[in-house]
Amino acid sequence: MIRTMRRVRVMGPRRELERTLRVLQDLGSMHLGTPPRLPALNPSPTSRREQRLVRQLRTLVADAETARSLLALPLPPAVATGAAPDPAPWASWARQARRLRRGAEQLRDRRQRLEEEQALLGKYREMLNAFAGLFDAGGIPAAVRAYHVVLRPGQAAVVEPLRQALAEALDSAFELRTRTLSAGDTALLLLVPLPRAGRVERLLTESGVQEVPLPSGYERATAAEALPRMRVRLEALPALLDEVESERKARAAAAAEVLPPMLAAAQDAISRLEAVGLAASTRTAFVLEGWVPAPDLPALGEALRERIGPEISVEELPAAPDVGAPVVLQNPRLFRPFQLLVEMLPLPTYGSIDPTPFVAVFFPVFFGLMLGDIGYGLAMLVLGVFLHRRSRPGMPLHAVAQIALVCAVFTIIFGVLFGEFFGDAGRRWFGLHPLLLDREEPEDIVSFLVLCIGIGGVHVLLGLVLGVINAFHGHKRQALGRGLSAVMILLVIVALLAALERLPAQLLTPAVVALLVAFPVLVIAEGIVAPVELLATMGNILSYARIMALGTASVMLAVIANRLAGAMGSVVVGAIFALLFHLVNFALGLFSPTVHALRLHYVEFFGRFYSPGGVRYRPFTHWRTH
Amino acid sequence: MQIFWITLSAAAAIGVPALATAWAQSRIGPAAAASLAEKPELSTTVIVMLAIPETMSILGFVVAMFIMLRAGG
Repeated sequence: MIRTMRRVRVMGPRRELERTLRVLQDLGSMHLGTPPRLPALNPSPTSRREQRLVRQLRTLVADAETARSLLALPLPPAVATGAAPDPAPWASWARQARRLRRGAEQLRDRRQRLEEEQALLGKYREMLNAFAGLFDAGGIPAAVRAYHVVLRPGQAAVVEPLRQALAEALDSAFELRTRTLSAGDTALLLLVPLPRAGRVERLLTESGVQEVPLPSGYERATAAEALPRMRVRLEALPALLDEVESERKARAAAAAEVLPPMLAAAQDAISRLEAVGLAASTRTAFVLEGWVPAPDLPALGEALRERIGPEISVEELPAAPDVGAPVVLQNPRLFRPFQLLVEMLPLPTYGSIDPTPFVAVFFPVFFGLMLGDIGYGLAMLVLGVFLHRRSRPGMPLHAVAQIALVCAVFTIIFGVLFGEFFGDAGRRWFGLHPLLLDREEPEDIVSFLVLCIGIGGVHVLLGLVLGVINAFHGHKRQALGRGLSAVMILLVIVALLAALERLPAQLLTPAVVALLVAFPVLVIAEGIVAPVELLATMGNILSYARIMALGTASVMLAVIANRLAGAMGSVVVGAIFALLFHLVNFALGLFSPTVHALRLHYVEFFGRFYSPGGVRYRPFTHWRTH
Repeated sequence: MQIFWITLSAAAAIGVPALATAWAQSRIGPAAAASLAEKPELSTTVIVMLAIPETMSILGFVVAMFIMLRAGG
């Protein structure tokens, strides 16, 4: 059901507007409406000072959020807002938030630099080790130029031609050593006399090999100088990163005391300043209008008079037809998870019917009729229990788990009625027999189709009745039209059953006569489109045949999966194939019935009565962290 | 010969609507993806939109089954 709302007007001295908003924020029950339009009242524009304050508060919030995110500081589930000093030290908080943000950004930059350096030096590690081995063997004299080269696997062939070219050019006055790296690369060290360096560089270029560029900060050093330094640096980097992490933890611990209350106070202040724009005022008085849940109205008046004074007036207004009350769905605990399915569509308008209880009854029935298998139902039950334990109350996943559990129970119930346990495995293993229908038998498939269309007829007729109730308060003519449609559908069903001799044949003529009489009345009540609507409604009822189609497809796939087990030759291979096939069928069995049960509700059922467009109830309250 | 025509009729009863469904969903799919990129909150509407053309296949399946059942009877 939709919670009953009361339209209220709060009036008081202009100077008390700020305090009134504070009280309303503490109470957290009033949904503020647009500024009231009354003679002699003007909208309450925020002053320049207030606008500047809002800008500063937004900067404070942005700084605090950035610092919080960089310091990886989680927000507590509830932040105590009452502890904030009044007036709040905004200027000092803003400076503090800025300092925290800058400190956190510097820490982030430092960590990034260290990580990048570690990654870069890590790439050189293996090559360094190879070259380090070469140096240990000989050492490099001062008058010698050393070249460090890494050859890709395909380039190794250039070593011998290069050696010959060097021998010709330098007359054996060089040293060339190679080592193979793990990835197939070849590390190459070339030592030549310093005066011959220019010639050697030309030879290297002609051979298509390049010296390894050293990392930033080591460019001016020779590799002989750079390599030991790099190794030392690589060994030192983890400790430096640990140091940064320790500093982050220390800063986060210090900020944990300050940031959440600061954020909450700033967000609350922004909300209050924005709410000023929703008041209308004269020079001396202000007026606020909005909506409060009916049970909370007395507490609102008492709290305002107690905390502000008797000059505050709280008045209940008659609900204006052109001002829609905000909508909040409130259902018994059993139906509450199914609100999720209704809230996936735009909310119903205030005063219309909340379809949640009907969805809670029909959705699991449709799902169970389609899947209808004890084995799949048990698997779904396990999945539902797992999701239920992994989620917290209030989370959408928790509601999904609860819906899954109810659907699983109905799947098992229909599984028993259809005698299905992973298709026909129950019959083969322990002689399970259907109690209602055998969905593998052709005669029963027809009965199943009739059952599904019958349920569809009931569902759509219920929708039409709800449509009559919905329209009765406002559009009497529409209500009459919908009522007539419902009656005519009943008459069509009676006429068809009488023609097929499922009902006494004497009923056929009266049903047809009644249809002929009702038809012009329907056209007068709802216009020329009414007959088309009626045909569409009949089509909607036939659409429930999908329950039978999906159910039959599901059981056939399960039977095929079981037959695969015997058709593979090997029992093990057959069992694996059967298991995989059942897994696919289970996944399909979760998805298809959900989508089609939803569609039957959203299109066939809601289409008869649902009036979307309700405004969500958003009480003016304190900032929440979740 | 009769069994050939019965089987062909059943195949056509499910095959033609399946092709029509595929064509309709091929038009809805890209539009749905584009809508979701801009408004992720439309996901429910999109799923329902995609399920609407499936009615053709489902009714085709029902008709095909009736053809086969009657032939069997």
